[in-house]
Amino acid sequence: MFSEDTILLLYEITDVIIAGLSMGSVYALMAVGMTLVYGVTKAFNFAYGDFFNMGGYFAWILIFGLGFQFMGYLGVLIIVMPLMFAVGYALEKLMIAPLRKREDWENKVMMLTLGLALFLTSLYTVVFGVRMKSLPPIWEGTLEIGQLVFAYQDIMIFVLSLGGIGLLGWMLNNTRIGMAVQAVAQNPVGAKIVGIPKERIFASTFAISTVMVGFGGILLSQKYFINPMSGGTIMIKAWVVTAFGGMGSIRGGLYAAFIIGMMEALVGWVFGLSYGIIALFILLIATLVFRPQGLMGKGG
Amino acid sequence: MRFKHMAIIIGAAYGVMAILPLFVGDIKFVMNILIMCLIWAVVASCWDVMMGFAGIFSFGQVAFFVMGAYCSGILAIEYHVTPVLAILIAGLFTGGMGVLVGLPCLKLAGPYVALVTFGVHMALQPTLRGEIGIALGSGGSVGLLTIPPISMFGYTFSSANMVPTFYLTLLVSLACALTIMLVIKSYWGTAFLALKDSHDFAMSLGISAFKYKLMVFALTSFLTGIIGAYYGHFYGVVSFRLLDLDLFSILMVMMLVGGLGHFPGAIIGAFLVVAGSEFMAPLGAYRAVTMGALVVVLVLALPNGIMGLFMKNNAKKIYGS
Amino acid sequence: MPVIWVMTMLSVRNLNAYYGESHVLRDVAVSVKQGEVVVMLGPNGHGKSTLLKSICGLVDQITGRINYKEEPITGMATENIVNLGLIYIAENRELFPHMTVLENLKLGAYAKNARPHEKGNLEWVFDLFPRLVERRKQLASTMSGGEARMLAVARGLMSNADFLCIDEPSLGLQPSLRHEIFSIIKQISKEGKTVLLVEQNIPQITELADRIYVMEEGQISFEGDKDEALGNEHLREIFLGM
Repeated sequence: MFSEDTILLLYEITDVIIAGLSMGSVYALMAVGMTLVYGVTKAFNFAYGDFFNMGGYFAWILIFGLGFQFMGYLGVLIIVMPLMFAVGYALEKLMIAPLRKREDWENKVMMLTLGLALFLTSLYTVVFGVRMKSLPPIWEGTLEIGQLVFAYQDIMIFVLSLGGIGLLGWMLNNTRIGMAVQAVAQNPVGAKIVGIPKERIFASTFAISTVMVGFGGILLSQKYFINPMSGGTIMIKAWVVTAFGGMGSIRGGLYAAFIIGMMEALVGWVFGLSYGIIALFILLIATLVFRPQGLMGKGG
Repeated sequence: MRFKHMAIIIGAAYGVMAILPLFVGDIKFVMNILIMCLIWAVVASCWDVMMGFAGIFSFGQVAFFVMGAYCSGILAIEYHVTPVLAILIAGLFTGGMGVLVGLPCLKLAGPYVALVTFGVHMALQPTLRGEIGIALGSGGSVGLLTIPPISMFGYTFSSANMVPTFYLTLLVSLACALTIMLVIKSYWGTAFLALKDSHDFAMSLGISAFKYKLMVFALTSFLTGIIGAYYGHFYGVVSFRLLDLDLFSILMVMMLVGGLGHFPGAIIGAFLVVAGSEFMAPLGAYRAVTMGALVVVLVLALPNGIMGLFMKNNAKKIYGS
Repeated sequence: MPVIWVMTMLSVRNLNAYYGESHVLRDVAVSVKQGEVVVMLGPNGHGKSTLLKSICGLVDQITGRINYKEEPITGMATENIVNLGLIYIAENRELFPHMTVLENLKLGAYAKNARPHEKGNLEWVFDLFPRLVERRKQLASTMSGGEARMLAVARGLMSNADFLCIDEPSLGLQPSLRHEIFSIIKQISKEGKTVLLVEQNIPQITELADRIYVMEEGQISFEGDKDEALGNEHLREIFLGM
């Protein structure tokens, strides 16, 4: 029915789609974390990508450094996620909150977190070496449907990322703290008036975003590698996704993540991997020229 | 800051620089550092004008520097253009690129400007390394290795000829600093202060934010491109490693030490940081760690940099929530 | 003078407030007894709102002494002040635009001490503002000015506060709605709440007020009950418009 070549091409395309979906889902995780922090606290975190690696390194230390074994990755997550939360919370309280009262504080936060990014990147290099580290796969093996082969790993990445986003969405709409986070995003003054401790919400939101990105780090690092120098590139990708979707819009971030994940997989397949980031920017700038607030961002 | 004070500070800083070769003119290593001080002072000042003065949160300054260096280098190597002419063309080229980047940026809100400009920075590296760059003559992952030095009046300005090279660099650097000072103190500068103070009111006076910001984009990228090109001809070697985050952050430390938005603080900042970072060389791999931590500490503890320490009359302001 | 001893709910002494370099309140002294409705009159921009915001911890730069139920609250964080039963209801409403009426009301009960009473207060508030019941699923941003004002007051009541600082509740409302909101405030007062109200110059406010203060240029320029206020020529001319 089909020639050999056509079938091979079809397989390749399926691979590209799967890669796009699994990348897209992790991008979504990261973009949602970033957009949430921006929407609520108006702070922009340049060290975001280094927290991605921090998640990966924490897991690596647990598994290989300490020989930790408890219910596979579940045990790792149970330990690393609260750790990421604590790091994010402390960082906001100690470094970002004091800047908030200053003139022009958004820019100061960008500079501070850029310094933090350099600090963390070089610290990782010093502590863990330049060589990349890998994590064991979350679930080995493949699922075969007819002649199509799916790695369980990809499926798990996809399911867990979307699960994480779903959990966050549920928390935002159904818990008291989630509603308070939304309230601060929509009207900080109003939130203060009704007695919501704004400062604590800022710190918690920041912490939640470090948890999201750290989770993304663990998920992707077991498919690819943990590269100490990659923080900047990862941050830029998360940022492009966020800006493309509209900063502050969670729904926009979700759509954007999958569009960009797919596009990157496709461009990588057709032109080679290094063109991914160039294509990313062309897409972003083209979007911003027509919609300066991103796909779904609110105007102004 | 008043014009007079600015002129005094610039004069003093460059004056001190100008005497130094009398003492250390023979030590090549030190002269090299001094030349780097002068070069980075220009980049830091341009960046400071952009961020601190015009309030455009651009992260593209290093990219413009690298563009200038590559442009002039390629012209000199591939097309045998005289270095001086190549530097000028490189300046015009980066100035044009500045306008090109500025056009979409200036309609965007703060973090988007940072994103697009940083994006230019991030996309430049794969471009220079990849096939596009190689086709243009960027030398791919090796970079440019054989950029000819400037030669004028029978002198060859390279590391073989340190003292004259130093004074040429001093002249170029001083010219850039004076241009920036004149701009800040001209009608442009007043227009910017008005825009910063009350955007709507300034607009109603017919001061177009867009026009002025685009002009700042053009000017700073022109100057940065010139000094980048000059750097290339002095060093003879240019690579995309300049785009690594280290240099980016060190420039930021220079601005922070000098005091963001307090020109000519960035010049002093550059002198101190370039020299200081040489002292930190024994730290090896920990130097970048220290630099990163330094940015964090400086932002938190020294909001107005060195200039802030000197500003006596600037009483602490109280901001309501 | 009242025969029975009534607790002073709020007492403000030597209050000074600043916004940056401008000195907004100058040595203001105000006291409000339990169950009273006290109205603060005065021209626009003379510090009335700042007084309310200072009381509720919404102004950073203040000096002086504010006591609530005989406990000092000067400089306390807003969330703790709300928890003590003092709430600010803003003139520009400060609602959460992309949330429904019900969600706005529920967030009104965010303070720890309000949470156990959330259900009861919700019923009470829906009794007071029947038109909010039908609009409970509507987004706050789609409401008319009058309804939004009602919602702001209702959200304030959800905090289970004993003391309400209401900032110009009638601003920009048509006379019938104005009347409605004042009669609701009257009812709230009857149910035992203490009210400190800021208004500009509306005649019917005097019906509501037990006592009146007038603030001009950041200072209290008049203090007295409403008969005294009505008898004062200067005030009648300037503020009461009679």
